[in-house]
Amino acid sequence: MNTISDDDLILFHYRDGLDANRIVEIEDALFASADLRERYVAIEQALALADTLPTPVPDADFNARLWRQLEPHLFANKAPARRPSWRDSLHALHAWLSPPRLAFAAACVLALAVGIGFYAGRQSAPVPALAQSSADAAAVRVLDAYVAEHLRATEGVLLTASNSDSADLLNGNRELAASLVESNRLYALAATRAGNTALADFLRQLEPVLISLANPSQSAPVQPSEGLRDYLRSTDLLFQVRAAQARLDRGGERRT
Amino acid sequence: MDMANEEARWVSQASEGDAAAFRRLVDAHASALFRVCARITGDKALAEDAVQEAFLNAYRHLRDFDGRAAFSTWLHRIAVNAALEQMRRRNRNETELPEGDEADDFFSASVEDAPGPDRHARSAEIRRDIETELKRMSTIERTAFVLRHHEGQSLEEISAVLSLSTNASKQAIFRAVRKLRAALEPVG
Repeated sequence: MNTISDDDLILFHYRDGLDANRIVEIEDALFASADLRERYVAIEQALALADTLPTPVPDADFNARLWRQLEPHLFANKAPARRPSWRDSLHALHAWLSPPRLAFAAACVLALAVGIGFYAGRQSAPVPALAQSSADAAAVRVLDAYVAEHLRATEGVLLTASNSDSADLLNGNRELAASLVESNRLYALAATRAGNTALADFLRQLEPVLISLANPSQSAPVQPSEGLRDYLRSTDLLFQVRAAQARLDRGGERRT
Repeated sequence: MDMANEEARWVSQASEGDAAAFRRLVDAHASALFRVCARITGDKALAEDAVQEAFLNAYRHLRDFDGRAAFSTWLHRIAVNAALEQMRRRNRNETELPEGDEADDFFSASVEDAPGPDRHARSAEIRRDIETELKRMSTIERTAFVLRHHEGQSLEEISAVLSLSTNASKQAIFRAVRKLRAALEPVG
């Protein structure tokens, strides 16, 4: 019985992902079996097809055009200073805070901004509008940054759950998913309060997935590995998580 | 001074704000980055945007480059991510790719550039089938395949660039090859 699959033959072609013994086994089998040789030739032909396409080459003006576009952005402020970016600071803060506390902190910042607005609105004296709008903008920026980090962690959990076969990794992933459930709720609440219903709805859509990953034994719409992969493919959830994350990052950069 | 040392010097000078040194790095690597980005995106305009973004990102993080990997490897990785980011920005589903009916579409352009149908009708037909199959691949499948087949990267390197497990990278390549084989079936 031939136990060499076409996938093995693809790895054999690239001499990658197979140990030395397996390579020798396949070499011997190819020598002994005309059938297997035929399958291997078919794979090599398919792979050779990819080489028939011309190599993409930029037009002659590409480098000059590229430089014209790059230059104004590069040296407007001389060399990049080696100071921590807001993102680095955020990572440091994130390392210190666990996800639920992080969400709580973001929700507090938002609540504080809402509180300032409410308090300011009750005063008879004219409110410094600039200060209030600045506080609101800061709160939204903080929320965006925290939610973007939360979505990055969620993306990692989804990827690990759908791609990993390691029991240890999946156990750790379950714990991480559990820790994200509560923060997800808080962020959804904070987004609602900030008037960002689209983000709030999206976060609520994530909640059952995180719950399923945190409690794999429960009957839930998502099960790890194959089932989750199918679910992610059919709902496009991973793409949406990345897109939401990118939107929040871009929003943060524009406001910074 | 050999090329690697010279490049290390350019990196060091560019990180101190030397425009000429950074220009040398751009000139040395732009074509290679364009090639991989065009293969991933299937679109020349997106590939150009990705290369520009990659160099901007590289410039911003030049001081983080620690020299453990080759500069080209580091830059290449940034470019692959920039190409993937361009694809995401097009707000496309992972199974959808840029349509082939646009004038600047790289895959279509390459068909039009092919020799006339008299001598190469069959190969042009096969090439068109390959392009169709490449477009059927998801971004991840095509990127994994491009990195393995055209760029000669190992599964381990591909997994690191795409943030996938080695097994998931393998599966992406297997699916890509299966789709490529479909291009042979109608004519085979």
